[in-house]
Amino acid sequence: MSRASSGFRGVLLVAFGVFIGLVVLSLGIGDLWLNPWRVWQGLMGRDELASVVVWQIRMPRTIVACLVGASLSASGLVMQAYFRNSLASPGLLGVSSGGAAGAVIAIALGGGALSIVTVPLMAIFGACLATGAVLLLARSGAGTERLLLSGVALNALLGAVTSYVLSSGTLGYERNAQIVFWLLGGLEDRTWEHVWIGAPIVVCALLLIPLGRPMDLLSLGSSEAQSLGVNVPKVRCLLLILSTVLTALGTAVAGTVGFVGLVVPHLLRLMVGAEHRRLVPLSLIGGGAFVLACDLGGRLFGNLRLGVVTALVGGPFFLWLLRRRE
Amino acid sequence: MPGFLQLRSVLSFLLLCSWETLWAAPIRVVSQAVGTDELLVALAEPAQIAALSHISRAAEFSAVAKEASAYPSIAQGDAETILKYQPTLVLAADYSRVELVEQVRRAGVKVIVFDRYHTIEDAFANLRQLAAELGGEAPARAEAIVQDCIGRIRVLEERLKNVKPSRVIAPSTYGVIAGAGTTFDDICVHAGAVNLASSLGGLRGHQVPPNEKILTWPIDSIVIDGAEDAAALAPYLTLLPYKFLSAVKERRMVRLEPYMLSTVSHYRVAAYEMLALGLHPEVFR
Amino acid sequence: MSAISLRAISVPGRLRDVTLELQPGRVVGVIGPNGSGKSTLLSVLAGLLPADGEVFWKEQSLPEIPFLDRARFLAWVPQEAAFEFGFTVRSVVGQGRFAHGDDGAGIESALAQMDLCSLADRLVNRLSGGERHRVLLARALATEAPVQVWDEPLAALDVRHGLLTMEVAKKRRAAGDTVIMSLHDLRLAFALDEVVVLSNGSLVAHGAPEAVLTPVLLETVFGVRASTGPSLTFELP
Repeated sequence: MSRASSGFRGVLLVAFGVFIGLVVLSLGIGDLWLNPWRVWQGLMGRDELASVVVWQIRMPRTIVACLVGASLSASGLVMQAYFRNSLASPGLLGVSSGGAAGAVIAIALGGGALSIVTVPLMAIFGACLATGAVLLLARSGAGTERLLLSGVALNALLGAVTSYVLSSGTLGYERNAQIVFWLLGGLEDRTWEHVWIGAPIVVCALLLIPLGRPMDLLSLGSSEAQSLGVNVPKVRCLLLILSTVLTALGTAVAGTVGFVGLVVPHLLRLMVGAEHRRLVPLSLIGGGAFVLACDLGGRLFGNLRLGVVTALVGGPFFLWLLRRRE
Repeated sequence: MPGFLQLRSVLSFLLLCSWETLWAAPIRVVSQAVGTDELLVALAEPAQIAALSHISRAAEFSAVAKEASAYPSIAQGDAETILKYQPTLVLAADYSRVELVEQVRRAGVKVIVFDRYHTIEDAFANLRQLAAELGGEAPARAEAIVQDCIGRIRVLEERLKNVKPSRVIAPSTYGVIAGAGTTFDDICVHAGAVNLASSLGGLRGHQVPPNEKILTWPIDSIVIDGAEDAAALAPYLTLLPYKFLSAVKERRMVRLEPYMLSTVSHYRVAAYEMLALGLHPEVFR
Repeated sequence: MSAISLRAISVPGRLRDVTLELQPGRVVGVIGPNGSGKSTLLSVLAGLLPADGEVFWKEQSLPEIPFLDRARFLAWVPQEAAFEFGFTVRSVVGQGRFAHGDDGAGIESALAQMDLCSLADRLVNRLSGGERHRVLLARALATEAPVQVWDEPLAALDVRHGLLTMEVAKKRRAAGDTVIMSLHDLRLAFALDEVVVLSNGSLVAHGAPEAVLTPVLLETVFGVRASTGPSLTFELP
């Protein structure tokens, strides 16, 4: 027990170190070269240009990257425990698409101009509907096939809704551009407003931490968990709400970014095992680090969008996982 | 036998008639792109215009929005939506869908696809080519337009010959900015301006700008389009990275008409004049 | 005072009007043909499946008992042992202490009872079916709940571990606990204190195995002709 927990502490420390390193890099690197001293001066507000670049461009982008990573990876972890299936994740199940469809409809109806919270709220609403549909299509403990196929169906259906909105001629080109941004998923031009929209992710993350232990039991069967003393209806309800809100908020600030919820929990399980008391905090930090790294990689190599990078990393990973499970 | 002969002569008469009518049939033109709308409206007799593009009446894209309201505009759709106007000639651009162009051609209708429209010379060539197709008064009209444009460009050159070129950019809310090879770049060349996106930024076509470097560009003015100053500027006051540009903060801007930053026809000369006047008002006093 | 009592329990399509009293300190077998409702009955009395009728644990109505108290009173082992995630054996057995604030007590003893000490650090999703079942049994033992409900505990186990499990059940009985298990091997049923016979969702008989498992009952319930003669028996060395 002590050997394992010291191993966990080591991994947590390393993960935190990597995370902080990536945050520093993300603040230090951009299309405008600033030497570390100027970055520091900018951070301290002593250099006007550097200050704008660091505080208004790089800082919100970095924070949004962390929030998106933490939210998607944690919601992937929760869905995997909930559905007792390590392939469950917001993207594959269609919850992300639900959030995107909600947001796209909000933008199309002009909600973007109405209030800054309209679009995120509609994203949450869409994600909730999609979660409901997943629950109907694939009850908990459903086999991989059923889960993934219902995800395919839901993604296709929601994709059709989005395409319809995009192709209906009544939309201005400007709104279409906004919508396309959402569908591609990215961190370009994220501002402090996006940080505030994503801020409740921190609250959800904190609420998730005490649920780590019940998630352990739930991930091995809901009847089993109940017989061992878990208040299953309450815990499941909480987990479902948290994972949906996390996905929706992550989607609301960065569009649909795939595979984070699949890749990060998996890598962490390989490192520290299946216990959620470790996985929950680690997936929050690790998700942030993963998205930061993907964003940095995308910025350094050919200005790739975040959604493109995570798909390039996550797609092959997913195929490898499928092969390994056979 | 006489009956057969009679039938044959009647048939050949009918055939001849239809041949004649086809020959003499008036030209009916459908324009499929907004750039060709502008050419067609400038040159054709009203009776020759069967229909204009789906955005011909949209003032933000079309220089002839007002005139276009007198004609039908085609819905966005397939070859059938074009063919139902029974055109004899269809005007398209190289960004029109290839399948659409091909289907119209297979229906036996002549299609002209315009694929050069980057400079004013291209616009002149396009005017002359279309005028030749339309016949009648059109070639003379085309020549008049070309001469008028050349004259106006000379006047501009004369007035601007001693001014220091203004350094400008044309931001957009689409997340991209106009670089080399765009209409905006061409407008700058004729209006005493330098497009920093192409000269400093090295961008080609419409590209995502470097969000941080752009803050270091020595921008004299931003060039935006819209129907009204405040409304045109409004989005950039909150949009990254533009909201941090001193040109935006200090409202150093020139507003062009909404269609001007995207027009590919001779109407760009009006954009040359409007930008030159906005940037160098002193030489027009 | 009865450990568990069921009053007029019905589950549509699966159980019909079952009334049953189980005393503490007994090893009870639940038998019946496939589909007779054994697993359903065990789930209902473990409080995991809602049913019409009433379930009492130690004279207390089940809905009034909080989840944590339930887990301290009754442990349930499912028929299927599927693990999606790679927990270690020790960690899964440790889940039995959830209702006790994860105090870690009794885990090593439960591992030892199910002969799992050498597998304690292995991942459960890499184990064989029988090994997984032993992990679940050990988890149930770790709860130290006085009522143990095991659904087909012996089906997946080899001879040695089957006998070991029966020994463990008898040890619990000696400590005053109740063990309720469903099983298919009727020869083993004769070794238990009492049997509950189900057929088509109805309770057919309940009592000492020698009294209940008559050739007539076996023929009507299972459709087999049984002869009571010398039979194959196993013993632990």
